[in-house]
Amino acid sequence: MSADTRTPTGGNPPTFEEGPSFVSAPIAALVSLVAPGVGQILARQWRRGLLILGSSLSIIGLLIWRIGLIATRQETWGEKVTRALQRQPGFTILMFAGILVLWAWNVWDAYKQTTSAKRGGATIFALVLVLFFVLGWQISEIDLYKAVTELDDTWPLLSRVLWPWEAAVTRRTDTVSAKALIRVPCEGDSPAPPAEVPGQPYVSVEPACGDLSDLDEENQIVPGTEVVFTGRGFMPNTETQIWWSDPVSNQFQIRQAGEYLAVMTDRDGAFELDVIMPYRLTPPSAVGVQEHEIEARQVSDVGPLIPSDPLKLSIERMVETIMMGMMATAFGIVLAVPVSFLAARNLMSGSWYTMALYYVTRTILNIVRSIEPLIWVIISAQWVGLGPFAGIIALTIHTIAALGKLYSEAIEGIDPGPIEAVQATGATRLQTIMFGVVPQMIPPFVSFSIYRWDINVRMSTIIGLVGGGGIGFILIQYIRLLNFRAAGIAVWFIAITVAILDYVSAEIREKYT
Amino acid sequence: MLEVKNLTKVYDDGTVALRDVSFTVEDGEFLIIIGLSGSGKSTLLRCINRLVEPTDGQILWDGADVTAAEATDLRKIRRQIGMIFQQFNLVKRSNVVTNVLTGRLGYSNQWHSLLQRFSPDDKAMAMAALRRVGIEDQALKRADELSGGQQQRVGIARALVQEPKMILADEPVASLDPVLAHSILEHLEDLNQNESITILCSLHYLDLVQRYATRVIGLRQGEIVYRGTQAEIQAMTDEEFKDIYGEEAVRVGGGLEGSLGGAA
Repeated sequence: MSADTRTPTGGNPPTFEEGPSFVSAPIAALVSLVAPGVGQILARQWRRGLLILGSSLSIIGLLIWRIGLIATRQETWGEKVTRALQRQPGFTILMFAGILVLWAWNVWDAYKQTTSAKRGGATIFALVLVLFFVLGWQISEIDLYKAVTELDDTWPLLSRVLWPWEAAVTRRTDTVSAKALIRVPCEGDSPAPPAEVPGQPYVSVEPACGDLSDLDEENQIVPGTEVVFTGRGFMPNTETQIWWSDPVSNQFQIRQAGEYLAVMTDRDGAFELDVIMPYRLTPPSAVGVQEHEIEARQVSDVGPLIPSDPLKLSIERMVETIMMGMMATAFGIVLAVPVSFLAARNLMSGSWYTMALYYVTRTILNIVRSIEPLIWVIISAQWVGLGPFAGIIALTIHTIAALGKLYSEAIEGIDPGPIEAVQATGATRLQTIMFGVVPQMIPPFVSFSIYRWDINVRMSTIIGLVGGGGIGFILIQYIRLLNFRAAGIAVWFIAITVAILDYVSAEIREKYT
Repeated sequence: MLEVKNLTKVYDDGTVALRDVSFTVEDGEFLIIIGLSGSGKSTLLRCINRLVEPTDGQILWDGADVTAAEATDLRKIRRQIGMIFQQFNLVKRSNVVTNVLTGRLGYSNQWHSLLQRFSPDDKAMAMAALRRVGIEDQALKRADELSGGQQQRVGIARALVQEPKMILADEPVASLDPVLAHSILEHLEDLNQNESITILCSLHYLDLVQRYATRVIGLRQGEIVYRGTQAEIQAMTDEEFKDIYGEEAVRVGGGLEGSLGGAA
């Protein structure tokens, strides 16, 4: 509030707010009853009036918008408000009550402003703030109830991200399998059972021909022929998967009643299982007799623990990320140095065209810097395609702008004293730069560059999310595949790298300041 | 011998810093320039080694025309003239001995010096200079770790390794407290008397002027308004001093004043 504006101050010309009210108290109150704040303006309290008018209009406008969204199907405003009261009673009642109080206070305030110089009104502006917070709460869809109730379901997922290391190792798998042929349909001779080799697993199927499951006109399953599938010579007491492979070698695991078909071998490594021949869409060209295969397959983990693919990929991508940050910083430094000379006021103040160049450079730097690297990635990915190179380009662009500004400020901060002193010893121009300028510039340059490298590695962990390569690229894929353990590994690597980098960069910068 | 003839300096913005200034400095003098800030003292000192380009007039250094000297000759003239500054003008982040060694740049091979390589003789000379001003033990510290008085001594050491015939001192003690002021000026007096180095020094304090000067010139608005010999200065009262100097003039103060005044 403009409590100070009415205080008469020495030689200042009288302001609008000084002098008597334009209207009498009741009229001001009446005007404010119709249009909040206008009565105050007529009482020469234009700042106060505009504040009231502005906040009333915004609050009412926002409320109308939100009620419209709550009750989209209702036609009239009466119905809409009723619906809003039903669906979100707390919000609606709070808002209406608040606006009512605000309105009443505004009328009383307009009356008071014409008569006395007393200001006050802090409480009511607190109410305005509260109303904005209520609106903000509703607009940003804050739902604490949900936050609490959903917590339980989140825990399994979150725990996988927090401790993903079970997925970091795996074992090589070994497959033991045997196949038998089945003819579809039963025409001519059934295929001969495969020859049994001693020491090798063996399966046979009886009968060795039949019909596949099919769909009738109502899309109901017509079960195929039931065959007896027997095997021996497998690993004992081991789960055995049953696979089917059609004449064009498409393999799939047979499902019955929604479950993958599997059987446990007995202690001699033998099994016997009834299998309904599965449904398989055969191409119209595949008329006549076809030879399918049924396979028993035992998959087991063997050998020592080895790093899993997510672990290997995370390490590879983390290295890629650090390198991206390093390359972008290197390119950025090389290009930012010349730019920083153009953006240093003390170097460019020589003539009007260097000054113009200075302003142009500064403006471009400010614009480029205000666009986040995430957006630059989207642009550069259009240019060179998805991948780390796009990320490097984006980071380089942002680095040039950020370092260009920091460097130029370092140049502007150079003390001319030592330069003068070195000159006075009879040093050449080059010696003067080497002994008077460079020692002053190196510490801030090193410090800023290390800081930027730190930022760039951090940035390159997330620009992968939008296609800029690096670890973010696999992180977003794992999240979309709901592979939270693998995502957790990537998150861990990001956290470890950033923490180490943070420490190292702080240590180095400490030395240079 | 330094001869300054009709020296005039007008800055680009039209400020006349020096107007037709002429004087001569004999070898071995301790000439003190007094004057208000803005009276042109700093400009005058900087014109002598052309850190500031004079607008008009002539400066002769041992018969050589400083004002007309080309770059190479100018550097040869500059290396014979040491300079110390009010703000010390050390490279704060370099160590002390490197700061002193910059005084040798005018004598060293440009390309060697760019690699920060100095000859063993130069290094020995730098250490000797530091020993002379009593801060040899600080040689490897960063310049900004030193106190103000120590930094100014580094400044003197830097001027000293130039093996100068003359030292220009621009308000060398204005940033220091009175006790340190005497210690710095005593170093300059030592160089003046024992090494026959001519000293050209601008100063603020009357008692320091009386104590150290062999001759004084006073500047006001870029013109010489006072020339005094040692005897004339000793006899000068505070009122006369203030007349040249304006109300800014102060003594270093207190107890020191009497004892030093008596010694002089």
